[in-house]
Amino acid sequence: MEAKVISKQDLATWIDALVKQYEVIAPVTEDGVVVFRQVSGLSEMTIEGMVGPAKSLREHFTPPTETLFDYKLEDLSAEVIPPENEERHRVIFGARACDAATLLYVGAVYSNVEPIDTAYFMRREKTYLVGLFCNKPAWSCFCTEVGDFLTNPVAMDVYLTDLGNRYYAEPLTPKGEELIGLGNFRPADENDKVANEEIRQKALERLPKRAEHETACLSYDWDHPVWTELAKKCLSCGACAFLCPTCHCFDIQEHPKLKKGSRYRCWDTCQFEKFTLMASGHNPRETRKERTRQRVFHKFKYSQERYCMLGCVGCGRCIAACPVNIDIRRVLEELEKTAVAK
Amino acid sequence: MRQKAKELLESGEVKVVIGYGQGSAPFKSTPIFIEKPEDAHKLIWNPTCVNNLTVYLRDACRQGKAAIVVKPCDARSIIELIRENQIERDDVVILAMSCPGVLNLDALAEIDLADVKSVEWHQSGIAIKTNAGETIIPSEKAFASKCLSCELAESPIADKKFGEPIERHPIRSKYADIEELEKMLPKERRAYWARQFARCIRCYACRSVCPGCYCKECFTDKPCQLWVLRSTDVESNWFFHFSRAMHTAGRCIACGECERVCPMGIPLMRLNQKMRKEVREMFGEEAGTNPEAPPTLGTFDLKNDPDPCSE
Repeated sequence: MEAKVISKQDLATWIDALVKQYEVIAPVTEDGVVVFRQVSGLSEMTIEGMVGPAKSLREHFTPPTETLFDYKLEDLSAEVIPPENEERHRVIFGARACDAATLLYVGAVYSNVEPIDTAYFMRREKTYLVGLFCNKPAWSCFCTEVGDFLTNPVAMDVYLTDLGNRYYAEPLTPKGEELIGLGNFRPADENDKVANEEIRQKALERLPKRAEHETACLSYDWDHPVWTELAKKCLSCGACAFLCPTCHCFDIQEHPKLKKGSRYRCWDTCQFEKFTLMASGHNPRETRKERTRQRVFHKFKYSQERYCMLGCVGCGRCIAACPVNIDIRRVLEELEKTAVAK
Repeated sequence: MRQKAKELLESGEVKVVIGYGQGSAPFKSTPIFIEKPEDAHKLIWNPTCVNNLTVYLRDACRQGKAAIVVKPCDARSIIELIRENQIERDDVVILAMSCPGVLNLDALAEIDLADVKSVEWHQSGIAIKTNAGETIIPSEKAFASKCLSCELAESPIADKKFGEPIERHPIRSKYADIEELEKMLPKERRAYWARQFARCIRCYACRSVCPGCYCKECFTDKPCQLWVLRSTDVESNWFFHFSRAMHTAGRCIACGECERVCPMGIPLMRLNQKMRKEVREMFGEEAGTNPEAPPTLGTFDLKNDPDPCSE
């Protein structure tokens, strides 16, 4: 599909056209924190020079709290009221390549067993992604170590690159072409293509080189001393997992009142002590050692075994947010030293 | 400090030295646990040493005597832990550093973090070396908010002090952050907090990093309870944060860790400073000052109650 270009002056008009037809979700700065929120125009958005937003797209596909159903109790019968399908078709604007890549992985998880997760797939179906290339990846970014989706994006409809005074736009799906059709775009010329290539090269130079995680991580050492080391400093908070775009575990809870109530699911994480606590009182992952190991193994080993892909997109949010500077890149380096030796 | 740590481990006086080690980037340090004398050289001391390491003290002291590297502000947490019978004074060796202030990472917003080579103290703030050269960030911007109102020239409790006491000239009031909030109408204040708590993802990093949050089982983790729902609606988040503020009232030493680690930028210190102010006004006490004093909210002194209900 042919690449197009839109000037920054024309961007607002394009966004306005999108807003008319769709619910548009984009990064906005709220009290100094960049989060994805519904917007009504370009002026509300934070896209210029933006590094990855604090929160990923995850909350827009699997909300932190989601009602599964409400119920009413009458004498001996119960009425179950399914939730309303609230979302109309929507455009998520300014999605990062790493966050988009998440959709492949989480999609695999949620369709792996019957019944598939209909709420998740309904949202996927109704969402079009307008991605944004990362001109200046953050210090914590390592997407190139776990994939090549920064330059070969997946799960997006349009991929934008900021060329300074204009955006380079690649439509990746017919839907993407339709979205571009709503704005004042012109075909990209040779200059645009060269500028786009230069910006991509510059970004890639800032990022670590691709590592052989796929082969190495299958032989990660269960008894590696790194687990004991991590356990000493890890505080078992859930910041890493709750900011992670691929973490997808949830807990199911009830909010009962006298004659009615609701059942909801909410984010949960293997980093919490009670995550694996059983009714018997036994906890197979009682200490932080087991819990930190679980998180790394799940992303790099079990995901490979189950879905033939890594459960990490290298967005680096866990690294930037960890209160005690546990850096998953360093953990992998440690593990790989022994994995390769084996 | 390294020498002392080495001696303590060599003589077997302590089992572990808890301190700061080089983090995964030049502007980050990470907690380290030194058990062998030959590893003492891994300890570092610079403006990136932001963590309040006393959060590890209870666990460490259960394994034996522990030494810990602290800033004067963190040392107040030790006083609280002793005061609340969480550790014994004899189980800890306090290595107290003289501290000009620690780095506020937000101050580096205009600097390309991937380019940073070193972060050091400078007479007028913090010096950041990058490939492009050296940038001096002035004190009022470079240091964490708590450092700007710090009055502690030296550690209030110590076994060994390192560096000269630092003359302090606080450039803002301890309660500067809450002045604006106190002026708001209740309705406005409610709206302010509702917006903040709407962002909370309930990762509990604030709770996990807090040396004062040491309950064996947190009220939020109780299974099958409805005190606070696990759902992340504003009301549940609100209940969690306000309960935590109440639970830490009288023991919060304002280390600011909860606010530092919040990935959603919730200004939690505004809650805690308000509680500190209330405690000071009602009970005339400031947490983290006297290890001999009974816990503020754990005692009831009928004779000296400044606000007896009976009157």
